[in-house]
Formats: sequence, structure tokens, C-alpha cells
Amino acid sequence: MELAIFYAFAALVIGSALLVVSLKNTARSLFLFFIVLFGMAGLFIFALADFVAITQIMVYVGGVLILMIFAFMLSNKELLADLQNTSSKFLSIPNWQSLLLSIGFLAVMSYGIIEWHDNFPQWITENIRQGNIIKSSDNNINQLGIKFMTQYLLPFEVISIFLLAALIGAAHLSRKEDPK
Amino acid sequence: MDSLILNILTPVAIFLFIALFTLFAVYAERKIAGFVQDRLGPMETGKYGLLQTFADILKLLQKEFISPSASDKILFALAPILIFVAVFVGYSVIPWGPNLIPSNTHTGLFFIMAVVSIDAIGILMAGWGSNNKYSLLGSIRAIAQMISYELPVGLSLIAAVMITQTLNLNEIAFNQGLLSSKEIYFLGFWKVNEIGGIFGWNIFQAPHLMVSYAIFFIASLAECNRAPFDIPEAESELIGGFHTEYGGIRFAFLFLAEYAMMFLVAMLGVVIFLGAWNSPLPNIGPAKLADWTTGPVWGVFWTLIKSLFIVAVQIWIRWTLPRFRADQLMTLCWKILIPLAFVCMAISGLWRILIMI
Repeated sequence: MELAIFYAFAALVIGSALLVVSLKNTARSLFLFFIVLFGMAGLFIFALADFVAITQIMVYVGGVLILMIFAFMLSNKELLADLQNTSSKFLSIPNWQSLLLSIGFLAVMSYGIIEWHDNFPQWITENIRQGNIIKSSDNNINQLGIKFMTQYLLPFEVISIFLLAALIGAAHLSRKEDPK
Repeated sequence: MDSLILNILTPVAIFLFIALFTLFAVYAERKIAGFVQDRLGPMETGKYGLLQTFADILKLLQKEFISPSASDKILFALAPILIFVAVFVGYSVIPWGPNLIPSNTHTGLFFIMAVVSIDAIGILMAGWGSNNKYSLLGSIRAIAQMISYELPVGLSLIAAVMITQTLNLNEIAFNQGLLSSKEIYFLGFWKVNEIGGIFGWNIFQAPHLMVSYAIFFIASLAECNRAPFDIPEAESELIGGFHTEYGGIRFAFLFLAEYAMMFLVAMLGVVIFLGAWNSPLPNIGPAKLADWTTGPVWGVFWTLIKSLFIVAVQIWIRWTLPRFRADQLMTLCWKILIPLAFVCMAISGLWRILIMI
């Protein structure tokens, strides 16, 4: 049952992601992107990372995706037409970066598949033997909070400084110039 | 197998409740509007117009599907479903009584916040799919408003969560009355575990949570796109905003979503701040009023009474206050509510360190 749901989510994500990049209608593909993100959140829940799943919906669906759709709706029609009529040749010049990127991803994934084998590494079996595992009924939000404030304090603070910089930048860009 | 049947029956029951609630809320809305404007409201259909909304819904159900020829058919048809489902899923983690909760998760509150933000996508979908200037303008206004007002809602809830120390709505509900598993104090000095009643509610556990609740209530009005924050569907400027082109059962679903959202935010406020299913009556000496009025049936009763009261206040405000202008709306949000919510959050932190320890 759970396996079936997992594969359903995976198929949903992959199918709609393929549609997102292949659809000509930009508006529809943006709304399809919502399904991709939602399916990804479902997959996170299968990894017992419910907090990450909800954060995914909150940040990406509630924030980033809405801003993307907003930008799309407010942008110039001719600019979008240009975007939609790019050449469909497979190996044209503007496509070489994406080709490089996809070959890179393919290499990483195939390396992963070659290296993969059925039995767990030693540290995982050790922890399972000691009962040191997360169950689906555990409350791991407290754990997350404690880890953020101790072990991962520096990355946490660096990210907050980064976000603050982005906020100040946005405020600076949107303010009115002095009419001197 | 039993749990599977229960898991199917619960959403059906909640859906039926929402449908019934919407029917009566529309009637109440029109009657209260009539009272505020010194007229009678619906009087013709049935005794005192009681059957008016049933007649309305019958009319809506009979109508044919009409989609404008230039609209994006798929997005246009999907939007009402998405909007309703986004609100409906929010009900899955709200407790109705002691341990009467469809799904008891550790991330309940956070889940509601995330799911309700999907609503915005549905509104954008409806606005874009209709291919109509008024719809698009209405949906863009709605999104600008909803994204801005999500911040005060979130911040005021964080202030409360810092006091309760859990995101689990079931635990939050339990820790506000007689059945609390930890010590609760009225305003931080008077232990009220035995007394219960109104003194145990979160809103009275720390004085700044009253301000927090006021912020939450104002911002949640804006989240529901209701007057005085209804510029997204301002009839005099935009016809109907994002639902201009909708008719028949699709319009019925948009309407259902709006009223479901009203009840959802009312119930969320009740659960977080106003004692959830705990009785407002305290134990006074030998009169164990709180003991007598706590239990599964009483729990559902108190949740309903409190939530319906909040909904009534929402309706009352809608017909009393005039609509905000767009710039006043943003000023209220960014210059008043958000700084206040931040102050509340800071006080919560200090309260936690200095008084609750």
C-alpha cells in the first residue's frame, strides 16, 4: 500500500515535471510546477521529514511559486512570445549550457546507481541494532530546534545574515530616489 | 479496516457540516445585514425566509456550466476545486473535542498555515483562467493582500506557540483547561489547573496574547478576503473580482470555500487562543461547573458555540465598517500589525525566560 502510494507520487512528480518543461503554454506550466512541488512534499513525508515537507509547501508554493506567477502575469507579452518561440532544434547554441548541466546530472545519477548495493553501510546497521532510529510517530520538531541552536548554529546564522542582506537589497531597489 | 472506514467517514461528515454551515451562515449574513441596515432581509421563502438559501443552492445546482470562449478551460475548471480543497484540508488537523481530532500530528499548526497558502494559487488560477481584466485585477489584489497578511497571522501564532511550546493542536487544546498535563497560570501568577474555565485559556496565560489575538483576528479577516478587506472582490470597482465569470456549481464551490475559510480561521483562533473545547465556566468552590461541562459532547458544543460567535463577529464587522483603500490596507499591515506582532513575539520570549522559566 505504502509502496504503491510512493510510486504514485514519484510518477506524478516526474510526469508533471516533464510536462512543465515541454508545455508551450507558460501559464499552464507554471501551475503544473505547483503539482511538482506538492508531489515532492509528499515524497519528503515518506522520508519521515514532515517538517521539511510542510516547509516546502509553505516557502515554495506559498511564496516562490506565487511570485513566479505574479512576475509572469505582470511581464510584457512580446517578451513572453519571444520566450515561447525559441528554436526547437536539439543542439542549438542557447542550449549548450542546459546540455552540459543535464550530462552532469546524468553522470552523478549513474555514478549513484553503479555504487548502490543492497546492504546498509556499517554505521546504519549499528544504529538500527541500538534502536537509534526515528519512528513515524516521533516528534522531531524539538530535535530540529535543538540542533539548529547547537550543532548547526553557524550555518543558521549565516543564512539569516544572507536573508537580511536580500531584504535590505529589495528595500533599496524599490525605494524612491531623492528628487534633488 | 475500521480505521479506514473512520478515515472515510470523517471527511464526509466534515464536508456535510461545512455545507450545512454555509447554508445557515449565508442566511445569518443576510439577516444580520438586514438588521444593521434597518430592513428585514429575506422574508418570502419559508417562515422568516428560512428556506431562502436552500432555494438559492437549488438554483445554483440546476445551472449549466458556462465557460467563456476565450478562457483557459482547464485552469478555469480546476480553480474552484483547488480553492475548496485547500481550505477543506485545513480541517484535517483541528480538534473538535478531547482527542476528537481527524488527524493528530505534531506539525498541525504549521500544516494549516502551509495548506491555507495554497488557496492563493487557486485564486490566481481562477483570475488567469477566466481571461477577464476584472478577474485578473481581482486575483492580483487578492494575492497581494493574502501574502502581506500571512505575516501578521504567522507572527501572532508564533507568539502563542512560544508560550504553548508545541505545534500539535491537540496538545495546545488540552493544555488550556482541567485536563492539562502541565501547570497553567492565569497571567503568570495564579495556578489554575484545578479551577479551569476561562482562566486557563491561552489568551489569559500572558497579557500580550490578547494583543496577539486581536492581530490574528484582524489579519484573518483579510486572509478570508472579507470586508473591510474585500478590495479583491470590490463589487463597485471589479464586479466580482476573481469569481466574475463563474456560475452554477463552480460558483457554489467558491462560495463554500469562502465560508469554510471563515469558519476555519474562527476555529483556529478558538483552538490557539480561546481555550479550544474547554468550558468557559470555572470551578467555584463546591460548584464544579468546569468539571460538569468538560467531555466529548460538551467539547464539540463549546467549540461550535465559540467558533460560531467569532463568525458572527466577522459578519457584524463586515456590515459595519467601510472598505479599506489599497494603500490604507498595506499601511495597516506593514506599519501597524507586523511591528506589533514582532513586539508580541519578543515579549513571548521574555515571558518564557523571566516568568514561566
